[in-house]
Amino acid sequence: MPKLRINDREIEVPEGTSVLDAIFHAGYDVPYFCSERHLSPIGACRMCLVKVGAPRKGKDGDWIRDEEGNPRIFWFPKLMAACTTRATEGMVVDTLADEVKKAQAGMVEFHLENHPLDCPTCDKGGACELQDRSYEYGLFEKYYTQTQNGLKTVLYSRFAFTKRHADKHHKLSEFVVLDRERCIHCKRCVRYFEEIPGEEVLDFIERGNHTFIGSEEVPLPAGFSGNITDICPVGALLDLTARFRARNWEFEKTPTVDMNDAFGAAIWVDSRSGRIERIRAREHPETNEIWIADAARFGHGWTVRDRVTAPLIRKDGELVPASLAEAEAYLRERLARVRGEEVGLLLAADGTLEEGYAFAEAARALKADHFGFENATRFPAANLPAARFEELLSAEFALVIGDPAEEMPNLYLRLQEFLKGITPAPRYYHGTPIADLRLEERMPRRKERLAVFAAYPTRLHRFAGIAGVYPPGSAGPLVEALSAILNGKRPEPVPGVPEAELRRVAERFLAAGSRAIVVGAEVLEAPEAAQAVADLARSKGALVFAMPPAAGARGLEAVGLWNPRGPGWEEPGARFLFAFGATPPAEVLASARLRVLALSHLDPQARAHADLVLPAKTFYEKRGYTVNAEGRLLELRPAPTAPMGSMDGLEALAFWLRAMGKKPPAAHYREARERLHERYRLPLDLPEEGFFWRPKLRLAARTGKDEGELFLQPTMWKERMLRDDRVRTALGAPRLRVHPATAKKLGLAQGARVEVATRYGRRDATVALDPSLAEGALLLPAYGRGTGRRVPYRLLVPAGGEA
Amino acid sequence: MGFFDDKQDWLEIVFKNYPPENRRAAVMPLLRKVQQEEGHVSPERVAEIAEILGTTATEVRGVMSFYSYYQAVPTGKYHLQVCATLSCKLAGAEELWDTLRAELGVGPGEVTPDGLFSIQKVECLGSCHTAPVVQVNDEPYLECMNRERLKALLEGLRSGKRLEEIELPGDCGHEVRKEGA
Repeated sequence: MPKLRINDREIEVPEGTSVLDAIFHAGYDVPYFCSERHLSPIGACRMCLVKVGAPRKGKDGDWIRDEEGNPRIFWFPKLMAACTTRATEGMVVDTLADEVKKAQAGMVEFHLENHPLDCPTCDKGGACELQDRSYEYGLFEKYYTQTQNGLKTVLYSRFAFTKRHADKHHKLSEFVVLDRERCIHCKRCVRYFEEIPGEEVLDFIERGNHTFIGSEEVPLPAGFSGNITDICPVGALLDLTARFRARNWEFEKTPTVDMNDAFGAAIWVDSRSGRIERIRAREHPETNEIWIADAARFGHGWTVRDRVTAPLIRKDGELVPASLAEAEAYLRERLARVRGEEVGLLLAADGTLEEGYAFAEAARALKADHFGFENATRFPAANLPAARFEELLSAEFALVIGDPAEEMPNLYLRLQEFLKGITPAPRYYHGTPIADLRLEERMPRRKERLAVFAAYPTRLHRFAGIAGVYPPGSAGPLVEALSAILNGKRPEPVPGVPEAELRRVAERFLAAGSRAIVVGAEVLEAPEAAQAVADLARSKGALVFAMPPAAGARGLEAVGLWNPRGPGWEEPGARFLFAFGATPPAEVLASARLRVLALSHLDPQARAHADLVLPAKTFYEKRGYTVNAEGRLLELRPAPTAPMGSMDGLEALAFWLRAMGKKPPAAHYREARERLHERYRLPLDLPEEGFFWRPKLRLAARTGKDEGELFLQPTMWKERMLRDDRVRTALGAPRLRVHPATAKKLGLAQGARVEVATRYGRRDATVALDPSLAEGALLLPAYGRGTGRRVPYRLLVPAGGEA
Repeated sequence: MGFFDDKQDWLEIVFKNYPPENRRAAVMPLLRKVQQEEGHVSPERVAEIAEILGTTATEVRGVMSFYSYYQAVPTGKYHLQVCATLSCKLAGAEELWDTLRAELGVGPGEVTPDGLFSIQKVECLGSCHTAPVVQVNDEPYLECMNRERLKALLEGLRSGKRLEEIELPGDCGHEVRKEGA
């Protein structure tokens, strides 16, 4: 632990700390543009120049001393970039010297040399690192003002060069636009793509004064591209979904949690005038660090359009707006003599813990047989032990069955860290290190540490030492075979995966000192396999990371919204059905006599079947707890965008129960939370240091087996996001991926347009022959519904098309 | 057909020089091979190289565009490269460039109708003491260039002389004297 002096303060920092972090750790400030948390320090922008000196050791091994006997400080002959200089014992750093100030001011001047003066129309204005640093560290008074005709005008440089002109509206994708004039060549975005998601799709083109950011892979692959808009220190890379929507200080900024997947990534919801305009990543070092997936960032356009703003009652076959009183009367009339057992209570996948608790309690009180939540898997994720995401970094070998990049995108980024062998960084006074010297550009990925199997080649496949593609439905048999090998038994054959391959995995698994198993929805849908994972975790001490398709799965199961025997979200049963937040499959709706749906948006199935629709809040607008995949308690906070009168699950359930003449278990989130506190000892307010809720559960698994042939492939994008034109354009027509041999059998031709009908509705798709799939495979993007399942389907060929 | 399809043996030898897990380190020799044989590196070749190296076309283009040696479009038989960095600029590289453009009637990325000439501004060629400097193809530098010397050069090349046969008027003060001169 080297001790060093920053200006007047003596500090001690961990070995390997950069001078930049030492300066911030001591409470001083230094400007920087190119450094960024979790990216390699490269010393490109030269903004963090400081005066650095260090003592030297003489030939006798002792410090060289001055006349007074103190170690003599040898100053470096030039100013040093603090981000790439390592803090060493006895070092002395001066950040306040005149020469330092002057050098930093000079660098500001260089950075502004070619930077356009369009701050008033720039989306980054007001939240721009270049703006802030120019004001703080530019020699504003000295160089930048002049008096002209008695007016004080601003000069941005001592030199009168013409600014370089370049492409100002270079669209990199439907979501990201690049302004090449504003770019200051910090290289953050280029390094981000190589170092974080591992796709080199941006690079410097040309060199010197002509350098610009370019890509041959336009549009950028949708997945993790949005993070570059967060880390761009200027307005060069901007979020197109929020382009020109507001100035930064006009946004209402709500810190909440993304509920599109079970990772629980921290987000900022920026809203203005009751509209969600932008989602940004919020730093949470233990979970998503500073990254979120594109779906979480750009998939918010659906919230603003066509909201259900008032109750809708079906009259003469049409849903017509009504007052709340009318809705209440309507419901009272129909629920007056309904017995509790006839009721079905269903909650969307992004339901909060409080909502889950209320639904579970209500179902219990009513003795209802039909209850559950959307996308519940056959095996409850809560039965599996949960490891912290950071613990993954301490593993030596990871076995992945599924597609983390789509099922839980942030876990994919964690797996990239695991591949590079990065361990969590030390925490400083200012938080995450800004210039972490352990990180380098192009760190080799240790492929031998990873084995991946999925029903199709995933993004992770090219990083894995052992990678396989099995026909959909084989995830369960694969896990069971592997478990048999590990337990010294003879495995059953797994279609598409040779036994030798599995033996290699087992060998590496056993050779590793610590192991991790990552399983997706497909495994959770195969109860025996999921149980085998739980057993392996216990007997072999493996860390388990389950990726349930419902964001709140772990918590909802733990509070009792788990119904292994009765019908749930997917199965018909109840005659009086109440669903909050999403529309259950058509057959569930069709079999009920009364269907009340609380929704933020109508969809075709709700339009066809609902008898009463109540306006619902989206997860961005709710308050409550959720439990993420690692068993961490997280808090949702409401963005002020819900239309007047829209309800969260507790309010809507209370509305339903009161109409039945029953008392709701909790009418308000705070009340529900107090119950959670009494029953499960959950904190009333989330403590700063975080809270884990991992009750040891042995819930009975649901029985049943997938019957269909069509595999619903996990996607980070959700059905509701497709309401947004921009998302639809970016994703293109959904592809019905099929192995060429299977296509031949089914009579499908490459590029043919077909309509695929499943229990979740109809979808237009384009046939894509894909020889990388296993034979027999037929894949359609799930967009959230029925993720990881195999379902029966019908193919409808539109008129004029041929298949 | 790909450029490297019939050069698998050559590729194997090249890859032997680099760590097996880091094939993309071989980007330079592959680019050089294409440039030498085809005179420029087309987007198709960039994609092909990326495919061979297991990287993205963006990265190959990033490397390629860094070096003025690699051409993205076909060049003339004589590709004139004018150094336009500081020393040469101060010594009159801009005038030289304007003269060239006027004389040949082409801009960067274009080729004269006779297919003989193309021009390009390049970064420092490292011969500041003999600025301004012009380089033709991969040949030795032409130093202390001025309008007269440039004209003589163009005339010589047009008349089909080899570069070393062309006498440039005036001298730079330190040329290697030819035997017997």
